[in-house]
Amino acid sequence: MTARSQEAAASGRSDPWRFLAGDGAVAFLMILPAAILFCLFYLWPFVNGFWLSLHNWDGFSDPTWAGFSNYQRLLHDRIFLGALRNNLIFVVAVVILKNVLGLGLALLLDRALVGRAFFRAAAFVPVTMSFVAVGLLWSWIYNPVFGLLNGALDLFGIGGLKRSWLGDADIALYSIIVVDVWKWLGFHAVIYLAGLQTIPSELYESAKMDGAGPLQRFRHVTIPMMMPIIFINTILGLSGAFVRNFDIVYVLTKGGPNHATEVVLTYMMSKAFQDGAMSYAAAIGYVLFLIVGLASVGLLALMRRQRLDI
Amino acid sequence: MSGAAKSLPVPDDSAPRRPRRLGLSGLLEIIGIYAALALVLVETLYPLFWVLFGSLKTKEEMLSNIWGPPSSLVFQNYADAWRIAGMGSRIVSSVLVTGSALIILVAVATPCAYALARLRFPGRGLVMAMTVAAMLVPPQVMAIPLFMVARDLGLINNRLGIAFVYAATSLPLSVFILRSFFVTLPADLEDAARIDGASRLEILIHIMLPLVRPGVALILIFGFIEIWNDFFLAFLLLRDPSVQTIPLGLVSFFQQYDSLWTLYFAALTITTLPVIVVFLAMQRQFIAGLTAGAVKG
Repeated sequence: MTARSQEAAASGRSDPWRFLAGDGAVAFLMILPAAILFCLFYLWPFVNGFWLSLHNWDGFSDPTWAGFSNYQRLLHDRIFLGALRNNLIFVVAVVILKNVLGLGLALLLDRALVGRAFFRAAAFVPVTMSFVAVGLLWSWIYNPVFGLLNGALDLFGIGGLKRSWLGDADIALYSIIVVDVWKWLGFHAVIYLAGLQTIPSELYESAKMDGAGPLQRFRHVTIPMMMPIIFINTILGLSGAFVRNFDIVYVLTKGGPNHATEVVLTYMMSKAFQDGAMSYAAAIGYVLFLIVGLASVGLLALMRRQRLDI
Repeated sequence: MSGAAKSLPVPDDSAPRRPRRLGLSGLLEIIGIYAALALVLVETLYPLFWVLFGSLKTKEEMLSNIWGPPSSLVFQNYADAWRIAGMGSRIVSSVLVTGSALIILVAVATPCAYALARLRFPGRGLVMAMTVAAMLVPPQVMAIPLFMVARDLGLINNRLGIAFVYAATSLPLSVFILRSFFVTLPADLEDAARIDGASRLEILIHIMLPLVRPGVALILIFGFIEIWNDFFLAFLLLRDPSVQTIPLGLVSFFQQYDSLWTLYFAALTITTLPVIVVFLAMQRQFIAGLTAGAVKG
């Protein structure tokens, strides 16, 4: 090291070890453990995944070069396209419901004079539960024989609406969407509540003085002031709904009946571990990454255009 | 945004408004708000009480009395669920995995966040950019290559191994949050200690770390919920039942014996209740911890 640095100094080129001078050496050592973890479990899989997706490999025998054929196959894979469609429905429905209901709940909590902390804590309880616990709980709520939901419909005399909520291909996906919204509602409501509490009350007062009714105040004061929070909640809901739906779908339906609730991640996992198509599954992961990445970048760009800083 | 009020009508000075008293409409409004909140309360909490009730019923009562509290308390359900679902070993696994992952996470994220916040060194911008970029790449999309890497490293069915993976997936957000805490500390503190001859590591451990304790608490709570509750990565990397964590155990119990309803409810209660109790005891920190990513990011 010394020999090299002397050589570098003598030849007048910049010293490659100069970054260790001053705080450099300390900083290097402090970052090293994080860098190792990051390289092993983030960067390596990320690069390796792309390499994998360009090959044909079952995970055991020798990989063979495949070019982009895995990606081309995806374009004609009906189940994959169906999973993608389900995933998009899931994302759109979940993001809209979480935002609308979350804001609604936050407005209620904001107005509650007594017991706000209690109601907020109660709404937040499902957020602390695992997807598995939530999924198992709801599979009993949806149970056609003695589930709460069909029981409640009987109780209110509308037993005609009784369904096999997870067994009916037409509604199973929406049944899962309800569960995801149930789990995350408190989370989004708390973020909205924090946002609502930063709006100066003078704005409402002056709007009131100007003769604005409650609806007008909501439209012209609350919504504009809450735009950054709406964006945050949308981004969080978006990335969550794209990639954090495996647990809930696996527990509730495993993608069935007949792929009606298949999402991209469940399909990727079944391709990898039931069919042994590791490289095909890796390609699915990459496509999902591209979609999530584009959606996030698009939203961030939109946010920047609206000059919203968060 | 500040122009929000512009589009509203001009003030009408000729009709001064009196402060509104709580009239009939105000009262109705309050009633409406509380009625709606009560509905939310029922929708959120009743299913949880339903599980608790169910876990204490006999199997026959489960069918005859779907809604209400149990008429007798069958604690035997808990003993049976514990035994059949192998809860003891699952809980040991979960504690082992989550505990080691959190220790690794704090030990690795703290010096990195400190260096990013307080030290000047070439390449800092790059490390920061990597941190932010990694926050946008969800680990789930890399599941297949991650499985391959873990297999090459011999980490499949290895609880300490998956702890390192969990620490890595929680790392970017944790570094980001901790860094924002270190940035706010005054420089004088550090300068004084340096004049006294303290090294950077001593400063970090003895002076800075105690001051960012709320930040460490945030990443611990966030990491705890993520890792303790995780199914996906555990499903990917812990294939042998003897090392599986609670979520995996619940799912396989559920799939294996699909008629032991009261036992499921007992198993669900055993695994869910402790977290809810801890949450209720430390609400403020929990809510701050889980929403920190949102507010800081």
